[in-house]
Amino acid sequence: MRLARKDRFSELEPLLGKVLHPARYLDHEWGATEEQDGPFHACLIYPDTYEVGQPNLGIAILYNELNRAEGISCERAYLPWVDMSALMRERGVPLLSLESSSPVASFDLVGITLAHELVATNVIETLDLAGIAVRSSDRDEDDAIVVAGGASAWNVEPLAPIFDAVSLGDGEEAIVDIARCVRSCRERGLARAEILRELSRVENVYVPSLYDIVHDETSTRWGYAVPKEGTGVPPVVYKRCIPSLAETDPIPQRMVPYMGIVQDRLAIEVLRGCARGCRFCQAGMTYRPVRERPASQVIDAVCEGLSVTGYDECSLSSLSTTDHSQCEHILRELKMRANQNGVRISIPSQRLDSFGVDMASAVSGGRKGGLTFAPEAGTQRLRDVINKNVTEEDLYRAARNAFENGWKRMKLYYMMGLPTETDEDILAITETARKVLAIGREVCGYRRGKSGVSVSISVAVFVPKCYTPFQWQGQLGRDEVRRRQQLLLQSAQDRDIRISYHDSDSSVLDAALSKMGRAGFEVVMEAWKRGCRFDAWTDQFSYETWLEAGRSVGIDLEEVAAETFDLDARLPWDHTSPGVSKGYLKREWRRAVQGVTTPDCTMTSCVGCGVCPTLGVDNVIAGDRHAR
Amino acid sequence: MPGRPPIGKPDLERLRVRFIKNDRLAYLGHLEVINTISRSVRRAKMPFSVGNGFAQRMRIQFSQALPVGAASTCEYYDLYLTERVDEGEAFELLRASTPKAMAPTEAHFVKSKLPALEAWLTRSDWDIRLFGRDFDASALGLALEDLKGIGKIDFMRGDKPRSIGLDSTLVSWALEDCEKEGEWDCVHMTLKTRSSNLGALRPAVLLEAAFKTPVLAGAMLDSTRVLRQGQWNEAEDGSLIDPFDPGQLL
Ligand code: SF4
Repeated sequence: MRLARKDRFSELEPLLGKVLHPARYLDHEWGATEEQDGPFHACLIYPDTYEVGQPNLGIAILYNELNRAEGISCERAYLPWVDMSALMRERGVPLLSLESSSPVASFDLVGITLAHELVATNVIETLDLAGIAVRSSDRDEDDAIVVAGGASAWNVEPLAPIFDAVSLGDGEEAIVDIARCVRSCRERGLARAEILRELSRVENVYVPSLYDIVHDETSTRWGYAVPKEGTGVPPVVYKRCIPSLAETDPIPQRMVPYMGIVQDRLAIEVLRGCARGCRFCQAGMTYRPVRERPASQVIDAVCEGLSVTGYDECSLSSLSTTDHSQCEHILRELKMRANQNGVRISIPSQRLDSFGVDMASAVSGGRKGGLTFAPEAGTQRLRDVINKNVTEEDLYRAARNAFENGWKRMKLYYMMGLPTETDEDILAITETARKVLAIGREVCGYRRGKSGVSVSISVAVFVPKCYTPFQWQGQLGRDEVRRRQQLLLQSAQDRDIRISYHDSDSSVLDAALSKMGRAGFEVVMEAWKRGCRFDAWTDQFSYETWLEAGRSVGIDLEEVAAETFDLDARLPWDHTSPGVSKGYLKREWRRAVQGVTTPDCTMTSCVGCGVCPTLGVDNVIAGDRHAR
Repeated sequence: MPGRPPIGKPDLERLRVRFIKNDRLAYLGHLEVINTISRSVRRAKMPFSVGNGFAQRMRIQFSQALPVGAASTCEYYDLYLTERVDEGEAFELLRASTPKAMAPTEAHFVKSKLPALEAWLTRSDWDIRLFGRDFDASALGLALEDLKGIGKIDFMRGDKPRSIGLDSTLVSWALEDCEKEGEWDCVHMTLKTRSSNLGALRPAVLLEAAFKTPVLAGAMLDSTRVLRQGQWNEAEDGSLIDPFDPGQLL
């Protein structure tokens, strides 16, 4: 039911003294758009707590674009923590937007970000708390149009019954098109069904209710989606892809939160996309092609951004910042122009070579915390399988360089359960750690019998994701994961080598949600009814409840996670495409099995992933990547 | 009184700023206040001084933490600058770059050798409204007398047991009944507290203890609206010194 638009903060305020971190619910941050005159009102929601959602660059970008558009206002909302939502339900307060404290159910358009698979139950919780029907088909004529988008929208099927529409790919232009379409439909008095039909005509927008799920001998057990007869919708909806970053606002994040958030710093997006071609990496496949922001724009944006926000740290964010062809120049300039008065520049991940260490060195100043590398797999054989184009020598050289530059703590990220993995690959992880430790001890020497050098290994369980060359693979079973974890633990006998694991149970759920088709929605709904929410928070996650929810609707989640699909099967997500061709993914799978690597197209030449010709775009490299 | 020493070097200029904390921002914690003010100072492009450590922290010191949920008309910070700037101009720049609900209300340069604000400001005045059921000013007054008689409050901060003596920290109070607000009974209280290096008495701790006394058995406190409306240093002769007292100013 559509609620009236009015400020209801006075109903929330008495609750603030009773909950953890009341700053989550305050709004009025520096830089927030206070004018919310509409007349068309959109609300963007990150379905997790404020401190997790506020740093999301995607929402910041869309928020500004919508607020800039004539006649459209945009606000934000986050999912209240369990203490607050319990009180809100008790006192009949619905989910409110931050800026005007209006009920989310009073908005014309509600946009929900899907940052990862484990937000599934939070999406339902968000809508339920807002008082908006969870299923698109149950909404009233004048209810908000609920749209999704984001990094994990590529297999949106397990949540498809929720959304009126899904925006695929880059959202900065698409969200404004969507808002304008809904506004014009409302002005023309169109019925809800007609509005959805109109939305399906907006480029790169997928309207799930206009597709049927078909099961036949060519499909997996989840079936595949085909346009409903007479709808005229495209059989495959491709992603929106902005051709160049240079035309986008380089400082979308001008809002300064009051409370400490997970990435409490200014973030400037220096490039979008990564073409290194790691075969497990969904982002690497779905954000192609690579579009670099020119160095001068990055440098000016960092300086201006720091000045308008008052932040003392700026992160140069992207999937692979040190791959920017002008990275060295950018960091050198920033050191001169911005690196004063306690201001820090940070780069989110290091390239696994000496250049990466040099760049980390350039931004670290005197501070030498831990340095993180991601070899991902223990042996060269397995690194070739996953196309992680680094050698053992690269790693040792980088480690030596890092120790010589003053670092003492090294963190190495690995994955367990990668296709073709054997015990030998597992044991090689500790072998590598031992060698890195030995290099560190040799470089740093000993003082009073201690070198101070340590290596920590962090191991995640591999989750096969759609639109990667590993999309057909099943996840390694839980028992086997446990056995390999034990094997690894027992092999590390130096107390300066520490091993930690990510929660393998939530990886099973992640894998199942990544694989399921539309029928998977029943599991998500059932899990939410049984109390599941905040599944990405280890203290809230209940594996057992999820398994029971699955069983109650006849779905065995462990079996789903471990299921392998036939290479020729029609997949549940074939109709929502980032432009990467299936032929390329199959070829990459075959090369993986043979241990043959594929180069980065920004360093060599096109390797035929299909994105550029399909979407009519190209890599945009500001300088010269061949130079290295 | 022992306390944290000032962090400025003698050659730095010490700008003392009084600011408010009200509306929604009353719900900010102390760390959030510090971060917000520090960012405002950076936005105002003040020539602030930074510490020598790797972290190069801004040299700034705040008055005692205000409890989460409490508003105030009189919080203070001392900001150390590398150069003397025009006082009025600095005030305007800070005002323009600070959220309205934390706006500065006065700023002056003070002597560099003064003690740090946190320990020096020993007296606070509070204006409190209590909302709940089945209590009034006289019952609350009796409960407070009882507590004063016991002389201390044992309470929990998180999962740690704490204790605060009342002989020195609870200076005085006044109570009056006021109009019901919605479904809630309402009592208006003014409270004077004193802090020392042994601790400060938080209004919420006092009120929670009061509602646990037998006099208020059966009464329920739903929420409070707390405003700090004055902070001073209490001199040995009992007189109260304002942070902008002429003796403090440069
Ligand atoms: S189409 Fe070719 S150039 Fe474009 S991203 Fe794919 S591999 Fe690279």
